[in-house]
Amino acid sequence: MMFDKEYSFRGKHAEYVVKLTAEYDDKHHKLFNTNYDVYAIAPIIGFLYQRKAELDKTGDATKIFPDKLIKEQQNLLFNYRLIMLLDEKHEADFNERINKAFRYYGQDKSAPDEELYENYVRGGVEILYEKLIESARSSEDYLTNLYDFIEEFDERYNESVTTESIVDLCQLAKN
Amino acid sequence: MLLKSLKLKDFRQFKGEQEITFSTDPVRNVTVILGENGSGKTTLAQAFTWCLYGDTDCDDKSMLCKVTGQTMLPGNEEKVRVELALQHNNIDYLCIREQLYSKDNSGSIRRHNQTTFKIAYKNADGQREYVPDGETELRMKEILPKELSKYFFFDGERIGNMSKEIRKGKSAEFAQAVRSLLGLSAFQSALEHLGGRNSVIKMYNESYDTKSDSKMAQYTKEIEEYEEKLQAIEERLAAIDDEEAIATDKKAELEEEIRLNKDSEVLARERDELVRKIKELVAKKASSEDSLLKVFNNNAHSYFAKKMMSDALSQLAAADKIDTGIPYIHAKTIEFLIKRKKCICGADIEFGNEAYKELNDLLEYIPPQSIGTSIGQFVRECELRCKSSDTLFEDISTKFGFIREFDNTYTGYQNQINIIREKLEKMKNVGELQARLSTYERALRNLSVERRELDRNQALLERDKERRETERKELSLKDENNRKIEVYKAYAQYMYTTLLSLYREKENETRQQLEQTVNEIFKSIYNGGFSLSIDEKYNIQVIVNEFEGINEDVETSTAQSISVIFAFIAGVIKMARQSQNPENEMLVSEPYPLVMDAPLSAFDKARIRTVCDALPNVAEQVIIFIKDTDSELAETYMGDKVGSRFEFDKKNEFETNLVTR
Repeated sequence: MMFDKEYSFRGKHAEYVVKLTAEYDDKHHKLFNTNYDVYAIAPIIGFLYQRKAELDKTGDATKIFPDKLIKEQQNLLFNYRLIMLLDEKHEADFNERINKAFRYYGQDKSAPDEELYENYVRGGVEILYEKLIESARSSEDYLTNLYDFIEEFDERYNESVTTESIVDLCQLAKN
Repeated sequence: MLLKSLKLKDFRQFKGEQEITFSTDPVRNVTVILGENGSGKTTLAQAFTWCLYGDTDCDDKSMLCKVTGQTMLPGNEEKVRVELALQHNNIDYLCIREQLYSKDNSGSIRRHNQTTFKIAYKNADGQREYVPDGETELRMKEILPKELSKYFFFDGERIGNMSKEIRKGKSAEFAQAVRSLLGLSAFQSALEHLGGRNSVIKMYNESYDTKSDSKMAQYTKEIEEYEEKLQAIEERLAAIDDEEAIATDKKAELEEEIRLNKDSEVLARERDELVRKIKELVAKKASSEDSLLKVFNNNAHSYFAKKMMSDALSQLAAADKIDTGIPYIHAKTIEFLIKRKKCICGADIEFGNEAYKELNDLLEYIPPQSIGTSIGQFVRECELRCKSSDTLFEDISTKFGFIREFDNTYTGYQNQINIIREKLEKMKNVGELQARLSTYERALRNLSVERRELDRNQALLERDKERRETERKELSLKDENNRKIEVYKAYAQYMYTTLLSLYREKENETRQQLEQTVNEIFKSIYNGGFSLSIDEKYNIQVIVNEFEGINEDVETSTAQSISVIFAFIAGVIKMARQSQNPENEMLVSEPYPLVMDAPLSAFDKARIRTVCDALPNVAEQVIIFIKDTDSELAETYMGDKVGSRFEFDKKNEFETNLVTR
């Protein structure tokens, strides 16, 4: 089980997360409120941008406490299931992907899946850092970068997906 | 007064003895002295005032030539001497001023006491005599009063101040000096003799026989007291006039400045309004940013996951995995059928056959092993999440648009503020000007109150004094002796009154004449639509005649100042010369020379011409210092009037020789 114990970002990823959650102006504005907020989004970004990153063991760590993770377990498990269902490179057989998403989580045999998930988390952190922080020179730049990133993301992934189409799919699933 | 020669000995940069002889020819009456700036023009001009009055405008109070000072041996003494030979009232005078310097053993130069001043003259027998030491100052005052001298010995640098002084008729002394120049002083002496302090009338007043009558003595004493008080009031009133003039001028200046700068108040208000708007904008922007980030942090997860949700749901739907559970079928039902090896439909269930596999797969989708429940839950979650993030991109776009607009507006305001700031930097603080204006206004009010009070007192005192005088007159008629005095006094009084009215008439006439003369000259020099007026105190006012020429810039206003002073001096000198005519014996005066460091460069060429034409004609003698660059102009326009020419030969900073050209 991954989402019931303390989580640590380490090495450069810890550094990136610290920067993503830092105040960027004198009005106490932050792009991400907490480490958890980065952790909740990063695997999605990592998967969609197809970026995986190995654990960087050098340097300091920054943590998310277990009570927060336990509280948010449902959300995190949702991410996990999405990735497991969709990563065809990791597992080509759809039935097996369903098993990974809905059956194996928490069992010993899910270790490589959980490893994959963590790699996407770290890859996502890297993408977020590159998109939002790296090029920022003034406090104005952070918000602009955020907007540009969302705009880019919208063009790339969300333009074709409407809420209605998802709701329709859900209806289809319920019948 | 005619200047004949000037002899210098070790006076500043004029080392050793040097002499300059001025042209006294009635036609070629101009002496030109050429020199670059710094070569000694100003020093030479100062030599005149030092010789006659003992002071100069120099910062360096030592008159001793620096080169001479250096070569002196310890214990040696040197005299600085300036001798000015002049003719006044047909008497040849030689004015000599000397200052002794010595070098002490440490090598420093020491000045000894005060300067010595002597005036020598030739008496009727042609013998040289000296004016007694105690009387030199007095004699000098007769020859040329100091307060007037600066209008005959003047340099261009002082001209700005001088024209101001003339326009304000600085002092009573000045008016007095002008009167004496215009030949009115004889009149004045007569009036003073009859009616002033220590006058005939006063003497009669004091000579009443008071021994016989104690009341007589008392009245006389009281009248004297009234007179003293009235005198004090008059002096104070004159002082109030001066103070009021200054305050009024200042007030006008400040009002003008305030008028010019009053826009600054409006600008400052505009700036404050912009600053307020900017503050508002900054707050609005911050709160928009807050809410943008809040939207992002709350819903970003669902938003980013949308695509994945859609893909996952599609795959699940396509694989028919969502709706694979069979209602009311439990795992135990299937296990029972497998054990029975016969399905409900009657088909055989053999280990490994089609039906066996189908049923085993089914086990995964029905309770208790069913993942259908989990998938169902997952689907519901997808629905909720996608709805929650439905408007995220639109929300953020809108808010970001606002923020961008704020930035643009902010930059706009900031630019406006900068423009205003630049304008304001060039302006003066109106509040401060207003405060100063109030001070002058208050002073003027106070002065006016004081004046009313004094006027009332004056009237009261006059009345009391007259009453006493009447009473004394009545008393005096009772005494034979006093009656005689009363009669004599009445004669003196009559003469005084008659003469005074005659004098007033004459002075008025003279002043009008002066005004006319000055204006003629002024117009010939300065053709700018202005004229000059001269009031009883010889204040000169510049009056605008026409509307054209009002927009004078600073440069021409300097030319205007110089023109005013030239016109005034030339006018006074011309009048003084005219009053020499024997048929006007009541008004006798001396001609005066004009010694000037001429700022010809302040004029344009046309005016240089008129100045050069005018001066030698109005003044009996002109001694003019000019720059090399102006020399050609002066030669061109004054050449035929020049009687002698000199040039400064500057050897170094501390040594200049005067040479004849």
